[in-house]
Amino acid sequence: MDNATDLTQKAHRSHTYNFYQFLPWLIPLALILMWQVAGSLNWLATDLVPTPWAVLQDGVSLWQSGELPKNLGISLYRALMGFALGGSVGFFFGMLNGLSKTARGLFDSTIQMLRNIPHLSLIPVVIILFGIGEAAKISLVTVGVMFPIYINTFHGITSVDPELIEMGQAYGLSKREMLTKIVFPGALPTILVGIRYALGVMWTTLIVAETISSNSGIGYMATNAQEFMDMKTVLLCIVIYALLGKASDLIAKLLEEICLDWQTERSHA
Amino acid sequence: MTNTPLLTLERIGKVYGTKVALHDVNFSIYPGEFIALVGMSGGGKSTILRLIAQLEAPTSGNLSYADPDMTTRVMFQNDRLLPWMTNVQNLSFHAADKAQQARAQAMLQTVGLTDFADGYPSALSGGQKQRLALGRALMADPQLLLLDEPLGALDALTRRKMQDSIAQICREQHLTTLLITHDVEEAARMADRVIVVKDGTNVYEADCAKGQDAATIGTVSEQVLDVILTPTTTTTVHS
Repeated sequence: MDNATDLTQKAHRSHTYNFYQFLPWLIPLALILMWQVAGSLNWLATDLVPTPWAVLQDGVSLWQSGELPKNLGISLYRALMGFALGGSVGFFFGMLNGLSKTARGLFDSTIQMLRNIPHLSLIPVVIILFGIGEAAKISLVTVGVMFPIYINTFHGITSVDPELIEMGQAYGLSKREMLTKIVFPGALPTILVGIRYALGVMWTTLIVAETISSNSGIGYMATNAQEFMDMKTVLLCIVIYALLGKASDLIAKLLEEICLDWQTERSHA
Repeated sequence: MTNTPLLTLERIGKVYGTKVALHDVNFSIYPGEFIALVGMSGGGKSTILRLIAQLEAPTSGNLSYADPDMTTRVMFQNDRLLPWMTNVQNLSFHAADKAQQARAQAMLQTVGLTDFADGYPSALSGGQKQRLALGRALMADPQLLLLDEPLGALDALTRRKMQDSIAQICREQHLTTLLITHDVEEAARMADRVIVVKDGTNVYEADCAKGQDAATIGTVSEQVLDVILTPTTTTTVHS
């Protein structure tokens, strides 16, 4: 193949890549554009449905006043603390029950029973126990993310290919080596699915918790704005939630790409 | 080949629940020997390999090793490579020190996969995967190499090439090898001694160490097939 053909093919591949990167943004951008045009032409009642531009301006002014960074910061803190706590507990019990029959016998049945209680139904109990302080929101997020991570870690560990485990035994791996070289990498794809799902649950739980019982955070901003019929801020909060959700998903995908690069190669093979 | 066996199986029996998988299995493996165990599916060949590899313990009988710390390595029917490790990492996965990593590079050359070092097993063909699995087994310099129907999933052409390739590597490295196969011709082509396992015991041995020319392979194959397909007898024939 000569250099000219090679370069042409590379350029073609690059254009194709850019096109597929842009494609997911096409529908959201088109909707925003249509929304803006409809608002600008007064097809929409802008006091009830403000235009994207008005929402953006509201966001800039709230950012400059310091209200948005403060509430965004506290929401992020609650989300990350709850995720770290719930994720750690879920991961710990998932690993423990996946690896030990005794632990499985002791804990799994109880965890499965608790898992079936909708965690948002605990809100009244949490408010009575913790009031509307930080502990209430963080504990709700903790409970919400714990179970998806537990289930996926447990399932990942118990469904590692038994033939690979037997191979490890035949090659004389120690228990620690078996865990680090076969069991954990084998369970990792399922664990990451749990993390991705738990990130979604994390935001949903936080939104509900902040809407019902809070005096700060993005959820509180939205509820407060609703009381003043401030639709620009309400919509801004919804957009922020969408962006935070998308950012979480991108982080989860990036984590998958880094940890599971061998799966990417398989899909290209 | 010396007269002291590397491994001896005496009156070995294995029972799973109420099912007798093996009874009264007796044979020895000598250093440098290439033995093939042949027989029909369910006859007990793979159970013998699993006992020798110490993946299971016999229910009765005595399995004695010349060296209690003898290194055995198994190459399974399916490659059992770790998909999350690169090909070169798969070779040295059980001891990832620098010396082993350097050896892994050399081993890739032995098994003809030098160009695939940093790729993943998923991108290899069936034959290449089995060559990599063979390389992994050889990395520990095993005193006994156990091959559990390693070529069963390959197409006829690749299978034939792999038979020659494995037999050549085993002879060059003077490896003591035990091959489990249901392919009688494969056993006769690759092994010095063919043992027929039938109904849970070894019933026949054919010595084909004098040279694996086409005539010998044909004769041994026919004798072995006759034994497998006719009622059990205990005979030793040297061709």
